[in-house]
Amino acid sequence: MSAITAEPGSRPRWATRLAATPEIGVISAVVVLFIAFSLASDSFASVSNLQTMGGDLAQYGILALGVSFVILTGGIDLSVGSMVALTAVLSAWLNVRAGLGAPIAILLTLLIAALVGVIHGLFVTRLGVPPFVTTLVTLVTARGAALAITKGFPIDGVSSTFTDLNAYRVLLVPVPTVIFIVLCVLAWVFLERTHVGRQIYAVGGNREAARLSGIRTERRILLTYVISSLCAGVVGVLITSRLSVGQPSVGSGWELTAIAAAVIGGISLSGGAGRVVGVAFGAILLVVINTGLVILHVSPYYQQIVLGLVLAVAITTDRVRSRRLARSRTPVS
Amino acid sequence: MTGVRLTGLRKSYGPTTVLAVDELELRGGQIVALVGENGAGKSTLTGILSGIVTADEGIVEIAGSTLRAGDPRHAQQLGVSLVSQEFPLVGQLPVAENLLLGLRPAGTSRLFVNRGATRRAATALLDRLGVVIEPDRLVETLTVPQQQLIEIAKALGREPSVLVLDEPTSALGPVESAAVLGAARDLAERGAVVVFIGHRLDEVREIADRVVVLRNGRLVADLTPAEATEQRLVRAMVGAELSDLVGQPTAGGGDRIAFRATGLAARGLGPVDLTVQDGEILGIAGLMGSGRSRLLHTIMGATTRTAGTMTLGGEPYAPRSPADAVAAGVGLVPEDRKHQALLLDAPVRWNVSLAALRGLARPFLSPALELAFATEVAESANVTCQSIEQAVRGLSGGNQQKSVFGRWFAVKPRLLLLDEPTRGVDIGAKAGIYRLIEAAAADGMTVVVVSSELEELMQLTHRIAVMSRGHLVRTIDRDQFSKESIMTAATSGAVPRPAPGPTGGVEGAVR
Repeated sequence: MSAITAEPGSRPRWATRLAATPEIGVISAVVVLFIAFSLASDSFASVSNLQTMGGDLAQYGILALGVSFVILTGGIDLSVGSMVALTAVLSAWLNVRAGLGAPIAILLTLLIAALVGVIHGLFVTRLGVPPFVTTLVTLVTARGAALAITKGFPIDGVSSTFTDLNAYRVLLVPVPTVIFIVLCVLAWVFLERTHVGRQIYAVGGNREAARLSGIRTERRILLTYVISSLCAGVVGVLITSRLSVGQPSVGSGWELTAIAAAVIGGISLSGGAGRVVGVAFGAILLVVINTGLVILHVSPYYQQIVLGLVLAVAITTDRVRSRRLARSRTPVS
Repeated sequence: MTGVRLTGLRKSYGPTTVLAVDELELRGGQIVALVGENGAGKSTLTGILSGIVTADEGIVEIAGSTLRAGDPRHAQQLGVSLVSQEFPLVGQLPVAENLLLGLRPAGTSRLFVNRGATRRAATALLDRLGVVIEPDRLVETLTVPQQQLIEIAKALGREPSVLVLDEPTSALGPVESAAVLGAARDLAERGAVVVFIGHRLDEVREIADRVVVLRNGRLVADLTPAEATEQRLVRAMVGAELSDLVGQPTAGGGDRIAFRATGLAARGLGPVDLTVQDGEILGIAGLMGSGRSRLLHTIMGATTRTAGTMTLGGEPYAPRSPADAVAAGVGLVPEDRKHQALLLDAPVRWNVSLAALRGLARPFLSPALELAFATEVAESANVTCQSIEQAVRGLSGGNQQKSVFGRWFAVKPRLLLLDEPTRGVDIGAKAGIYRLIEAAAADGMTVVVVSSELEELMQLTHRIAVMSRGHLVRTIDRDQFSKESIMTAATSGAVPRPAPGPTGGVEGAVR
């Protein structure tokens, strides 16, 4: 911060501002890797591959976005992977077995997802159950419920509205990707431009201080769990539309990918810090690396090692940054 | 007899020299008070002495051996013990184990923990301070002052030859402070060097054998207690007269009743009857654990009210949460600004606009509008910062506290509750905060201020209500203010008596 006021004119304003942007690392990593993969393989930057990547991005990105809200309050949501499976199956079941129209089935699915979020929120705020434990319970039970509903077999025969959702393109961009972009904009507006959004940061930064300054902390926390579960519900519906079946085994381990994307994007696991732009690019980075390695025929085992290393680099730079910030603190009397 | 000799110490951060002391010798058996404004170099000096801070140049000799610069473990081996304002206690361990952390009671097994012996040793340590705290309680369940007492007892238990106390009494009431100072005196009489950083000048004069004043990292005065008059100390520290700094009596409060509590009770509090007039500054005095903070928190809706009614501006007022209180026009500056008030890593802008955000949103927040608003608020509260976007953590204690005041000035509450508003801020900032309080009252706010510093209350307030064991025992008007009358009232109720109301949660009171 002091650098901005201390040396004006030594560099152009936009350059100093860019250097002070915390997300600059992840954004440049995306740019560099994208160029590198495009040079290494002709098919990487092809329209069809970009569209596939867009579909992947919608899945991980929307989950990461939702989880970020919870992490901003200092909590964690481990349930989103299983919630994807449950909502994917549920939407197919409502559509196929219960015979509801696709819009009604989707709406009902999202409603149920939101309800799960409310339950998470109540457990965390009213009963004081740690978020890790609360959502771990759902991680197990939601997966079980998905398997129980389907008896382990995919539900096929979903109506064409579902499949259209995946197949339709807006100016070459797949609908799920458009939904992701719209959600990013909404999340940005909510967090940066509404008082409730700022209050969520405050709750994560210092819950007692937030409470004593008149913020209804319990409501804010509950809201973030609802947002996270709703995002998982949206992803569940998109998965069913992509696979055109309700698949109970889908989404396994995705909660960790989502959390990783959020952390790589600069959302602090201790709460109160991080921005939407970072989360979006965190998710893009993961998708770019995944797809790039597949296209270059790197073994899936090595892909996981690479992802682990990316996460390690992200966490290390975060620590170094905050350490450096701490050192540059000079008290002013 | 130990002695400490500091020669040619230099420490800079970037271009700023924070410490430049050519020579300072501390003799065993003496209590040396180190005074100066925040940023004067006191903490740097004691940091170097205890090995936490590495000096750029200079030598520290403790009892003849040279301290390896920046080696806290070596400093400990040489007998240096530091009690800082942050308490490095393990919250989830009981009091007894915290006190003996890393030590083993004499004559117990190397392999197994002897709980009985640990508890006995802990009780003995607490007795030295005359503190009654159940040794089996978890430290995280204790109040800040109690934790501070534990931290001090822990340091004393190390039998240090050099004890550094960084504002040991800032969180404590008068009686607890006296006990701590007494223990420091005992230690000095047994030949140890005691270095004492303090902001309360009366306390400094009372306890110290020698007063060393730092300003801008330099030694500016080295006085005997007799020489160290309040005026002289203040002049040495800031180069100003005391009368410029301390608030003057303001015009009396109005006659309309702004706030009234009838039979107000909560766990460990009350029933309390209290009325405050419009524009009045009401002080609340009492020992630690007497329920002062609890009273404020109950009015704020932060502690569950179990009985009683309140009115605010003549209308019924029954907050169920601080959010209700803020909506009704009540604000609280809490005791512990780091844990209860500030978003430390967020910019000053966020911190001052926090309570006013809803009003700023129309319906969306505009960055330009918020920036202008926050800048104006920070200026109205005289917050000095490099930039409004600077993290509030980097501000001095006084400016942090002014930011919290700014947060409430921004919403203009009818009733402003202040809990130890000048705790741990330097003398210049104290004066600034007094002015803010007076400005708030002049602006029509009704102010209730809790403080352990009697002089502060006597200077600032129109009326002082004294609390003891959760009850309001006496209200004293300005023309009858005296330290004796307040202390008598505060201690009178501390003797056990058949309590008419619930009186839990008063552990930690001093015997």
